[in-house]
Amino acid sequence: MTANLQIVMKRREFTVLGLILVLMVIFSLSTEKFMSVSNLSNLLLQLSGVAISAIGMTMVIITGGIDVSVGSILGMASVVAGKLLMAGSSFVIVVLSAIATGFGIGILNGIIISYGNVPPIIVTLGMMSMMRALMFQVLGGRWVSGIPPDIRIIGLGKWLGIPLSMWITAVLVILFSYFLSSRPTGRAIYAIGNNPEAARVSGVNLARTILIVYSLTGLLVGFAGLIYVARTGIVQTNTGSGFELEVIAAVMLGGTSVFGGKGTVIGSLLGAVLVGIIKNGMVLMNVPALSEGLVIGVLILISVMIDLIRSRGESL
Amino acid sequence: MKNIGSHIVENRVLFLLVLFLILFGVFAFSVKGFFTYYNLTNMTQYGVELGLLALAEMLVILSGGAGIDLSVGSMLTIVAMIIGVLIGRAGFNPSLAILIGLISGSAMGYANGFLVAYPKIPPFIVTLASLYVYKSLAMIISVDPRFGPNPMPVSNFPETFYFIGQHRIGGLPFQVLFIFIPVVLILMFLMNRTVLGRHLYGVGSNETAAIFSGINVKKIRVIVYTLSGLLSALAGWVITSRIASARPDIGTGYELQAITIAVLGGVSIKGGEGTAGGVVLSIAIITMLYNGMQLAGIHQIWQLGSLGLVLVGSVLLNQILYNRRKF
Repeated sequence: MTANLQIVMKRREFTVLGLILVLMVIFSLSTEKFMSVSNLSNLLLQLSGVAISAIGMTMVIITGGIDVSVGSILGMASVVAGKLLMAGSSFVIVVLSAIATGFGIGILNGIIISYGNVPPIIVTLGMMSMMRALMFQVLGGRWVSGIPPDIRIIGLGKWLGIPLSMWITAVLVILFSYFLSSRPTGRAIYAIGNNPEAARVSGVNLARTILIVYSLTGLLVGFAGLIYVARTGIVQTNTGSGFELEVIAAVMLGGTSVFGGKGTVIGSLLGAVLVGIIKNGMVLMNVPALSEGLVIGVLILISVMIDLIRSRGESL
Repeated sequence: MKNIGSHIVENRVLFLLVLFLILFGVFAFSVKGFFTYYNLTNMTQYGVELGLLALAEMLVILSGGAGIDLSVGSMLTIVAMIIGVLIGRAGFNPSLAILIGLISGSAMGYANGFLVAYPKIPPFIVTLASLYVYKSLAMIISVDPRFGPNPMPVSNFPETFYFIGQHRIGGLPFQVLFIFIPVVLILMFLMNRTVLGRHLYGVGSNETAAIFSGINVKKIRVIVYTLSGLLSALAGWVITSRIASARPDIGTGYELQAITIAVLGGVSIKGGEGTAGGVVLSIAIITMLYNGMQLAGIHQIWQLGSLGLVLVGSVLLNQILYNRRKF
C-alpha cells in the first residue's frame, strides 16, 4: 500500500494536481470572485479549447515533434465556421467544415514532415504564416460578428451545470487515453519518441504514424476552433495567435517530455487546467495581461528543468 | 540541358544569383517605379534589420544540435524598447543608451545559449519560451505609468539619434555602409579565417567528432546564441533610428523571416553547412521581393504568407539535394 502510494505520489500528474489545488486555495482566499459559479464555469469553457488541442499536441511532442501552427489552425477553422454561419449554412455542415479544415491543414503538415522529411518546427512555422495570410484574405481585414445563436449551444450550453464543451473534452480525453495506451498506433507513437531507429526496425511505419499524429492534431484543433466561435461569437484576423503557447505550456506542464517518448493525455488535461487557472487568477488579481507571456514562458522552462532533473535521477 | 539545370540547383550561390536576376528582370519590366536609382538604393535600407537577424539565425543553425533561435524578433523589440525608454523617457545620453541596449541584447542571447548548452534543453523550446518572455518584458517596460497601463511607443528622440537610420551617402543608406557591410565582412572573416569559424562548422556537422577532437562544444553554442542576441540588438537599434520610434510590437514575425532567409541562403537546417555569401544573396532576394510586391500594391500580410511557402519549399529543396548527394 505505501509502495503504491509512493508510486502515485511520484507521478507528474499528482504534482500538477497538487499545484492546482494550492493555486485554487490561494486564489479563492485572495479574490472573492474566483470560487463563484459563473467564474468557474467560464474557466472550464475557456480551457476546453486548450485541453482538446493539447490532446493532439501531446501526441506530437511524444513523437519528439512540435506544432506551432495550432493557433493559426484554430483561427482558420474559426474563419470557416464563422463565414459559413453568416451565410446561413446548417449546423451539421458548419461543424463538419470546421473540423475538416483543421484536419486538412494537419494532413498537409503531416505529409511534408513525414514524407518530405522536413523538421516539424520549420513546416509548422511556415504553415502558420501561410494560414495567417489566408485568413486575412478571406476576412478582408474585417471581423465576423453577430454569429447566429443556434451554434452557440456548443459554447454556452450546459448539462448538470457543466458546459457542454467540457463534457466533449472529457469524452475525447478518455478516448485518446485509450488510443495511446492500448491501440497499436498509440504504442507506436511512444516507440517513435523513445527511439525512432528501434521503432523502424521493429516494424513501425514511421511516416504513416507521424502523418496520423499531425492530422489528428489538426482535426482536434479544428474542433477547438468551433468551440471558440461558439463561445465568443467573433472571428478576427488574429484569432488564435498566441494560442499555440498555451497549448504547448499545458502539455509540457502536464509531464510530456520534449525529449520524446513520455507523456499522457490526462497529464495534459491537468496542465490545461493549471494554465487556465493561472490565466484566470492573474486577471482576477489585476496582474496586467502583458505579463502573461512572461509567466507562461517561464513555466515552460521550469517544467523542462523538472524533466531534466527527474530523468537524471532515473538513469542513476 | 538537364545537366545545366541540376548544376544550377546544386550550386547554391549560382542558384540564388539566377533567382535574383530573374526576379530583378520581372520587377524591372512589370512594376512601375522599381528600376530607378532612388528605389534601388532606397530599398537596401529595409534589408538591414532583417539581414542582421538572418545572419544571427545563420550562426545558430550552423552550430547544429537542432539549433534555431525563435527569439530574435523579441530581442530586437526589447532592445528597441530599452533604447527608446532610456533616451526618450529617462533622458539618457543616446550613446550610453545604445551601449546598454547592445549589452542587454547579448545578455539575453547568452541566457538562451546557456540553457541550450548546459542543461541541454532543445533550442526550439528555449527560444520559443524566451520569445514570449522577452516580448512580454518589452511590453511591460514600454508602459508609461503617466499614461495608464497600456504599452506605449516612444518617439521623442534627439535629432542626432536618427543619423544612423536616416542619413545617406550618395543615395546609399548609412546603416548599409557602416553597419551591415562591416558586420558581413567581420562574420566572413570569423567563419572562414579563424579557429572559431572552423570549430563552428565542425560542431555543426558532427558533434561527436568535434567533442573527440577536443572542441569545446558548449562554449561554441553559448557564443553563437550570444552573437545572435548582439546582432538582434544591433537590428533593434537601427530600426528604432530608421522609423524614429520604439514600438513594443515591432519585431513580431521577424523570426520566421530570418529563418527563411537563412535557409533559402543555403544554411542546412541540420547544421554545419552554409555561407555568409549565400545568406547575403538571399537577403537581397527577399528585400527585392518585398519591395516589388509593395510597389505592385500587394498587401503586406502576403509578404509573410509567401515567405512561409518559400521557407518550406527551400528546406524541401535542401533535403532533396542532401538525399541525392548521399547516394
